[in-house]
Amino acid sequence: MITLTIEGRQVSVPEGTSILEAGKAAGILIPHYCYHPGLPVAGVCRMCLVEVEKSPKLAPACATAAADGQVVHVHSESALEARQGVLELLLINHPLDCPVCDQSGECELQDYTYAEGRRSTRYREPKRVNPVEDFGGDVVYVPNRCILCTRCVRFMETVAEDPVLNVSDRGDHALIGKFENQDLTHPWAGNVVELCPVGALLSKDFLNKARSWDMDRAASVCPGCSQGCNIVIETRDNVVARLRPRPNADVNQYFMCDEGRLNYRWLNRRDRVAEPLVRRGDALIPVDWEIAIDAAARTLTGRRVTAIVSPGLSNEVLYLLRRVLERCGAESEGVFAVRQGPEAPLPGVPDLAVRADRAPNVQGAELMGFRRTDAPLDAVRSGDVLLLADADLSAAGAAVVSGALARAADIIVIGTTVPAWAAGAGAALPLANMAEDEGTFTNLRGRVQRYRQAKSPPALARPGWSVLADLLVALGDPIVVWTPAEAFSALAQAHPAFAGMTYEGLGATGTVVADAREPRAVTAGIGA
Amino acid sequence: MPIGVKVLERPIEDVSYVRATLTGMGLTLRHLVNPHKVTVQYPEQREQLSPRWRGTHRMLTTDDGKSKCVACGLCPTVCPANCIKLVPGEDAQGNRYPLVFEIDEFRCIFCGYCQEVCPEEAIHVGRHYENSEYSRDGFVYDLERLMAQTHPVCEMWDPADPRGE
Repeated sequence: MITLTIEGRQVSVPEGTSILEAGKAAGILIPHYCYHPGLPVAGVCRMCLVEVEKSPKLAPACATAAADGQVVHVHSESALEARQGVLELLLINHPLDCPVCDQSGECELQDYTYAEGRRSTRYREPKRVNPVEDFGGDVVYVPNRCILCTRCVRFMETVAEDPVLNVSDRGDHALIGKFENQDLTHPWAGNVVELCPVGALLSKDFLNKARSWDMDRAASVCPGCSQGCNIVIETRDNVVARLRPRPNADVNQYFMCDEGRLNYRWLNRRDRVAEPLVRRGDALIPVDWEIAIDAAARTLTGRRVTAIVSPGLSNEVLYLLRRVLERCGAESEGVFAVRQGPEAPLPGVPDLAVRADRAPNVQGAELMGFRRTDAPLDAVRSGDVLLLADADLSAAGAAVVSGALARAADIIVIGTTVPAWAAGAGAALPLANMAEDEGTFTNLRGRVQRYRQAKSPPALARPGWSVLADLLVALGDPIVVWTPAEAFSALAQAHPAFAGMTYEGLGATGTVVADAREPRAVTAGIGA
Repeated sequence: MPIGVKVLERPIEDVSYVRATLTGMGLTLRHLVNPHKVTVQYPEQREQLSPRWRGTHRMLTTDDGKSKCVACGLCPTVCPANCIKLVPGEDAQGNRYPLVFEIDEFRCIFCGYCQEVCPEEAIHVGRHYENSEYSRDGFVYDLERLMAQTHPVCEMWDPADPRGE
């Protein structure tokens, strides 16, 4: 460990740390463009110039190792003047089209220019103008706004290991180019949009949809696959507008895949079940929650139940579902199926990939004692009550579905939608989806991570833990759960893998369950 | 009078209406012949509005008849009355433009912040006050209506006295 002083603050950092990172540790942001903690250091933007005492000239903070006893001035006159010069040169060709630029409001050029830049330009020549270029994938390139920090080039080269981008031409004509006949189609290429400090690389999907200051943000976990990348859900007027990665050194570092990034439309779907429904004759009619819960409890009591659950439900909901099954008749069981997709690793980051299991809580479902199967509907035995817990069975063939329907004596739906084939259900309890609820997922390495509520659920739909707690009470369980934290602590008390965990203790980056590598199949005795 | 209430006779000159009536008529007559009249014969005559008058909005257009608005979203952000509804979109040339731009003139408090914040000098408050309607819906001005307005727009400050001194 070495100790240095930055802006009058003493900070101790491990040897080899850059001054810029040491500044972060001391709580001082040194302005920078080309530096990114997830990428190799380039030192091309000259924005992070700082004054180091006893050094003959200004030093780039990103590429200078911190040394013992160093005294660094970030906001000294000479450092400010140097950075002001850098900003003036960057703005020579940068169009002042902030009103129509998607990056406006979250643009580092905008921020630092307001903070440290000149009030006006001295440049009188016309700006260089280049046409907008489609980079393929989800990315569009606006060369006029580019400040040539090369973060995108370095990402594609060293992290994605698919060198598609380069710096074409030199000097005034330099811009980011694509190699001939290659497109930004790498499954992780969308990260260049996040890495771009200005509005040069933009997401086509998000283009012109919302301003950054219009949006509300909630820390969450990507529901796309079992990797469990940390994300931020950004909503505008209660509609999810985009997903962005949230740093977590143990899971996804700074990145998320394109599939996960664009997989948010289902969170906004309109065909949700919004009121509790029970069967009256031929139709499902909307009723009060109490009536629907009682109807579901009456159907389940003493019966043999087969629950088909979704591996996209939270640990708490799955635990409470397991507890419901224990309250039902003998030989009740729960199964789940996982949608599969091609695996796509990000080579530059260890143990990071789009996983084949396209569901966020496969591990959690297994820990709660649900049986994984490829044909969940075949698990329905003759005379069973089919408890459908938000599982997506659209992939199942019509014959399989009708066979299961013929065997099932009753159907209870607990979920965000009621599929057409389950219209014969006795009761339907509407749930909030993962953006409207909070809870935890267990990723494939056993990391339990919290996601928080980003929007409000439709009409009378309620969070799963709350609905299931009421259902358990109606089934005679003495459980008391009023908050998601209480639901989690009930789980932590009952399940050995979660022993000792607290909701608050999970923090922003999660905690790993006991015996993470070898998930134990706990099927009995985890109830109260 | 069980509790001995005193009844006073009031002098006739204090309770007569004649004097008050004459005083009032006198005032009226004085104003009738007063050369400094302020009454304006509306609608035949109109008052000259201040160049800084802030009335109902107007959207300025480019030479080819399109609205100048680029849907940057600053006016709905700055609007203290939250009366501007804006949905951005993209036209065939890839330019940002407002798909929906509506101002609820009922909600508007005519502060003029929208005009002040607009980077394109597109939305303006107008020197205009005649805005009666037969229905409430008529007070939600859409983009077409804002562009069709022809009244002069607010100067925001007096060119002769920019600092308001």
